[in-house]
Amino acid sequence: MLRRVLLVLTFVVCALGVVGYQATRPEKGSSSPRVFVPSAQFFTDFSPSFRTTIADAYWLRTVQYYGEHVNGDRQFDSLWPMLDLITRLSPRFVRPYRFGAFALLDGGRADLGYELLKRGHAANPDEWALLTHLGMFSYQYGSSPDKDVIAAEWYQKASELPDAPEWVGRVAARLLVKGGERQKATMQWAQVYGVGDQYSRVQALAEIDKLLPVDPAARQREVASLAEFVPGELFDEFSRALLGGD
Amino acid sequence: MKRSFAIALNTFKETIRDRVLSVIVVFALAMIVASLWLATISLEQQARMMKDFGLTAVTLFGLVVAVFAAGNLVRKELEKRTVFFIFSKPVGPAQFIVGKFLGLALTVFLVVLGMGLFLFLVTWLVAGDASGSVLLATLLIYVQVVVIMAVTVFFSTFASAILSSVLGVCVFIAGQLSHNVLSLTRLGEGEALKALSWVVFIAIPNLAAVDAKPSVVGEGSIAWGQTSLWLGYLIAYMIVALLAASWVFRRKEF
Repeated sequence: MLRRVLLVLTFVVCALGVVGYQATRPEKGSSSPRVFVPSAQFFTDFSPSFRTTIADAYWLRTVQYYGEHVNGDRQFDSLWPMLDLITRLSPRFVRPYRFGAFALLDGGRADLGYELLKRGHAANPDEWALLTHLGMFSYQYGSSPDKDVIAAEWYQKASELPDAPEWVGRVAARLLVKGGERQKATMQWAQVYGVGDQYSRVQALAEIDKLLPVDPAARQREVASLAEFVPGELFDEFSRALLGGD
Repeated sequence: MKRSFAIALNTFKETIRDRVLSVIVVFALAMIVASLWLATISLEQQARMMKDFGLTAVTLFGLVVAVFAAGNLVRKELEKRTVFFIFSKPVGPAQFIVGKFLGLALTVFLVVLGMGLFLFLVTWLVAGDASGSVLLATLLIYVQVVVIMAVTVFFSTFASAILSSVLGVCVFIAGQLSHNVLSLTRLGEGEALKALSWVVFIAIPNLAAVDAKPSVVGEGSIAWGQTSLWLGYLIAYMIVALLAASWVFRRKEF
């Protein structure tokens, strides 16, 4: 009986010791918020067959890391190294570029976010969302005097991709207007008219109307030059709406 | 060949009933299901996470099953002395080794394919992604695992079961690093080191030349020409390992 009690007691004490030790670890943990992130080259050399799995594991860690810090100290020191590693190990994994760029923005590093998106676009040229994010970053955080035009060019590229939504072309056109590129803006609106739905067409006509010269002859010449952007079956209606008459 | 098939059938029946095998398979399936939990914190990347972690689980558990079963394959017959009974019949060492290997290869095939099908179904039902590339990747993983099994059988003809299994795992790891050994052949300063690196490079199976996992998660696509060549190489490697095992086994005195 005494032996059994001693055994149970030993078990309970040891179990409490184990639980107690682990439970106090978080308080005694390292104060450094950095995550261990080896170089991408290391993983490419030493585990080429598992590189995407490692990228995925670091992706989960990145989401956790962001979640831990975004409502706390907002220190994202390890964010860029992790995103860099993920995107080098798995360049066609699109989500980290999109999420990462905005997460880096939260850490005050719009420049790195922009670089990440550019790298994402280079590896995934068919992803229109990356291009619109690049446009947004250029417009919002760019320091160049031509930032509106640079942003418009990203949106223009995005609008040329087959699965891009219609609003992308409209944003590109508006940014060109804002950047003072009247002629390019007119062409972009004409393109929007050519491929867009009824809403886009109404918008495009209203905007082109504002951009075209008042002089009837010059106006007619310019409308004629837009023929290459508007399909033939729509062009008659397009020119009538802008020039008037039957 | 008929005798080899008889041994293969018997080995298959024996290994498929092994309880350790069932435990490993259940654990592997649990790991695949656990990837569901990981997928929930992946920001809408459920299918990718499930496929990638699932295929890694299939590789690692397939490897564990293969090396531990292969390490025991010949050893058990020697320790239980059943090998004497087999050799009292008109069965040669090569027929014995090939028969045992084929039986285990069939067991491992069912285990790996079962895990692959389970992964395919879970990915389909949970993430709505019925990608046949998961099954294709599973088959390529199987070929890799079977090559390591052949190497482990070779080791088991002269080493203990545990040592053979450990060596099998080491060869798997070395096979993943094959290209690093190739770099050594170029970087080595001494001719002797270069020559040694070449021997190691040729001797270890190149398991990393083709990898289907990245294509499953959208990183490029499988180059069929390259993959066929690689499969041919692995089959040739397997035959060499089995012939070497038969040769060592023949020299044993019973």
